[in-house]
Amino acid sequence: MGRLFSLIWNEVAKIYIQKSTWIMYIFIILLIAGVAALSFFSDVNNNEYGDDWKAELEAENEALTEEMQESEFAGDFNTQQIEKNDYHIENDIKPAEYDAWQFVFENSMLSSFISLLTIIVAGGIVANEFKWGTIKQLLIRPISRSTILLSKYISVLIFALATLAFVLVLSWIAGAMLFGVQGLNPEMVLRKGGELQASTVVEEIISSYGFKLVNLFMMTTFAFMISAIFRNSALAIGTAVFLMMAGTSIVSFFADRVWVKYILFANTDLTVYTSGMGPVRDEMTMGFSIVVLVVYWVILMAASWLAFTKRDVAGN
Amino acid sequence: MSETAMELKQLKKKIGSKEIIKGLDFEIQKGEVFGFIGPNGAGKTTTIRMMVGLMGITEGEVVIQGQSVKSNFKKAIQEVGAIVENPEMYPFMTGMQNLKHFARMTPGITRERIDEVVGLVGMENAIKTKVGRYSLGMRQRLGIAQALLHKPSILILDEPTNGLDPAGIRHIRKYIRRLASEENVAVIISSHLLTEIELMCDRIGIIKNGEMIGFESVNEQDADDDGSRQIAIEAEPSDKAAELLKERHGIDVEMKEGFVAFEASKTFVPQIVTTLVNEEVLVYRVEVSKASVEDKFFDMIGENVIG
Ligand SMILES: Nc1ncnc2c1ncn2[C@@H]1O[C@H](COP(=O)(O)OP(=O)(O)OP(=O)(O)O)[C@@H](O)[C@H]1O
Ligand SMILES: [Mg+2]
Repeated sequence: MGRLFSLIWNEVAKIYIQKSTWIMYIFIILLIAGVAALSFFSDVNNNEYGDDWKAELEAENEALTEEMQESEFAGDFNTQQIEKNDYHIENDIKPAEYDAWQFVFENSMLSSFISLLTIIVAGGIVANEFKWGTIKQLLIRPISRSTILLSKYISVLIFALATLAFVLVLSWIAGAMLFGVQGLNPEMVLRKGGELQASTVVEEIISSYGFKLVNLFMMTTFAFMISAIFRNSALAIGTAVFLMMAGTSIVSFFADRVWVKYILFANTDLTVYTSGMGPVRDEMTMGFSIVVLVVYWVILMAASWLAFTKRDVAGN
Repeated sequence: MSETAMELKQLKKKIGSKEIIKGLDFEIQKGEVFGFIGPNGAGKTTTIRMMVGLMGITEGEVVIQGQSVKSNFKKAIQEVGAIVENPEMYPFMTGMQNLKHFARMTPGITRERIDEVVGLVGMENAIKTKVGRYSLGMRQRLGIAQALLHKPSILILDEPTNGLDPAGIRHIRKYIRRLASEENVAVIISSHLLTEIELMCDRIGIIKNGEMIGFESVNEQDADDDGSRQIAIEAEPSDKAAELLKERHGIDVEMKEGFVAFEASKTFVPQIVTTLVNEEVLVYRVEVSKASVEDKFFDMIGENVIG
């Protein structure tokens, strides 16, 4: 066990010593700075409410109703906004002002960038050892190949979590600098599956990033497998990124077939069950998707393990 | 007296339907430096890859200090330090970072030990430089340092002289001799250049087409016992010298580049010279050399055909 810790230490050190990793982190910084600047200047942030916020909301609702009577186009949006305002008034939840928390929550799409970076790391972590020829040095130690593979897989997950933490902290700081911080954990009202619900912003950040991690986790494992089987990082990164992008299109293309539900990408977005959007096929449930994900994960890991532990390491 | 450090038992390797290694059978003793010689494609690297578990063994066994590589890999490999083919290291890390990386993979390697091996291979000045900037010879030295970290009882070096300058080779040769004699390490050195490793080996095994075709002792004492030496005499007239040798001593000679060349015991040389001088043959030079392993090597492997 102590050995496994040293191995993970080695692997994580190798990831962070490389310049390419630092370049990735510089990209993250630039991206967050860009997004922050964009939302600062675009000014579409929520209105601010004073102490008398209930009266302000009532006034807003009246204005919205008037607008609906004048133009037909505003219909849906305005009804929903009125409902939401009423919900705030009834449940005595003051609408939160746009702040660092909201900024972090809104930018949960940054998680696909984390996926991309983690796929790059996962695609290289086995293949690069072959490319550098260092695999030979790695495998002639008193450590089983399985342990070495495990240490590499865990290190990829550590990289993903560290990068996620970096993105969260950095975007919170950027948000705090530009929009300020309104309390430790403001309450917010969101529409889920057609129903309005109150929850806290931290809860929402965790669930939105959390659900997106499912996709990250599966695609990373996929890249890791290709890396272990084909010993080629470009191939691993290419196929994983392509599938990540094309996954949903593939699923919608075959949406009318029964077997589509067994495709990985029909199951990676679990928010379809909570947001009211609904899965590709009506018979699918959250439990079904989780089982499919577990089966895929086991297959990917078994294939990586077989390729890594059973095959000869001969000249390249 | 000598103990077996490594034993190959009917070791075979098949890739597809092609048999690359066709049943190797030999032992290497502790404290012995074994030269593993063969032309390109003979199967040296393949054999070494099986010894260290990088390639699966098709048939037979490799036993290291009593432990089978096949069934008890961890115990067996713990005794081995190796460079397989090229001394590859992480180019983006310094020499020291590389050594620490590999040190973490084996229990019980101290910081002092790391500094010690750096000193042994004479890399103190370059150890904080990134390996990407190393010359081949520097990487070779770092590779040897890495292989010695855990004080292995068997050192396997695939073409270690590749890329080393003469000073580097001399340095490594001395060091390998010392490891063998003082620390009783068994050393296996592969090469296709016999001359480069002849001087550091006790014994040489010659492999061709996946088969061992001979073993040669290069030990000084063995050569003395056996007594056979290559003798070349520059004499005038040379045909008279040849005649005399045939008549008086029953030696068949060859004429090589103006020399009268033959094989005989070293103790025989004074008598021969006396004979020649008494018969008024002018003797300009007498060269006595060990029966060259190189000649035998070429005799054994035949023409230089890779196959
Ligand atoms: N992965 C492989 N698949 C098929 N044949 C292989 C493979 N690896 C090696 N060989 C064959 O095995 C034979 C031995 O190769 P090996 O690399 O062991 O030779 P070598 O003695 O180390 O040669 P060199 O002096 O050139 O390093 C060669 O004929 C080679 O073509
Ligand atoms: Mg070779």
